[in-house]
Amino acid sequence: MAGGRAAREPNGSAVAAALAAGSGLLVLGVVVVACELSPAVEGLVSRVGEASVPGAERLGAYAGKQVVFLVGWLAAWLALHLALRGRDLRARRWMGLAFAMVLAALVLVWPPVWHLLKP
Amino acid sequence: MATTPTEDEGDEEDEGLAGRADWTLAYALAAAVGVVSILALATAPVAALLGESRYAIPSALHGVAASVYLIVGTVSAYLAWLIYSGRLAAYRDLRVLAALNAFFSLVTILLGNWIYAYYRESGGPRAYFLEANPAVHEIFFEFKEFVALFTLPLSAAAAFILWTRRRGLAGERELREGVAAMLLLAWAFLMLAFGLGAAITKLRSV
Repeated sequence: MAGGRAAREPNGSAVAAALAAGSGLLVLGVVVVACELSPAVEGLVSRVGEASVPGAERLGAYAGKQVVFLVGWLAAWLALHLALRGRDLRARRWMGLAFAMVLAALVLVWPPVWHLLKP
Repeated sequence: MATTPTEDEGDEEDEGLAGRADWTLAYALAAAVGVVSILALATAPVAALLGESRYAIPSALHGVAASVYLIVGTVSAYLAWLIYSGRLAAYRDLRVLAALNAFFSLVTILLGNWIYAYYRESGGPRAYFLEANPAVHEIFFEFKEFVALFTLPLSAAAAFILWTRRRGLAGERELREGVAAMLLLAWAFLMLAFGLGAAITKLRSV
């Protein structure tokens, strides 16, 4: 059993890619809800967008949300890749976690949920 | 001696039958789209289809990119199902198409940003919807703009895994199912975003 796992190509970098996708989308979901609940956060995210995307003032806070999502996703991918490459993990468990994060993100970007969360 | 075929062995068999080792469905699709585009541009008044809006070009580019992505994504989703169910001969096609998925996802999102600026302009569709039918903007458009982003990390992760597994996914059932699920999810999100985009454009275009 152990020999079989040892002979196999380590799957850590593949698991890292899946987990990073889930993490990045969860970051997107959280920042979207945070912007809806807090004008201060929305202003901050808008400024992030304006500082990093040409013409972002025409996109409102959307540009900043995209930047936060992209940075979150790619930073998570880099960190997870460095941490997990060379390791052989139980792919089903970790990919299940990645899909759970995608599902949570999907719930968070569904606008009726924002209205439910607003005080 | 009986052995379990790997993806590469499956491909070798296909190569022998087809004699086109480097061909994938993606190339055939690209050629078809190219030929149809050239014929249409050369023989039909395509400009008449763009409309008179000053945003006709960016909205047409966004629509074309999304349509090409829809074709690539749909074929990928079918191949992902084949991979999921253990029919590994589709591996090479899927590898190319997964990379194209990520590429067209990125291009469509970037072009979507371009057109979104016009959507938000004073007197644009956003203002119209907020006055005439707020739910279209507040629910459907807001959801569409975010769900479209879901396609990028999922298709990029799937492409990364398919391109970096040197030995393929023949003995990696869990990874294989994970990659297939990522591509199928990306396709589902693409369909959602495409459908909502088409509906919103039908109600009020830029």
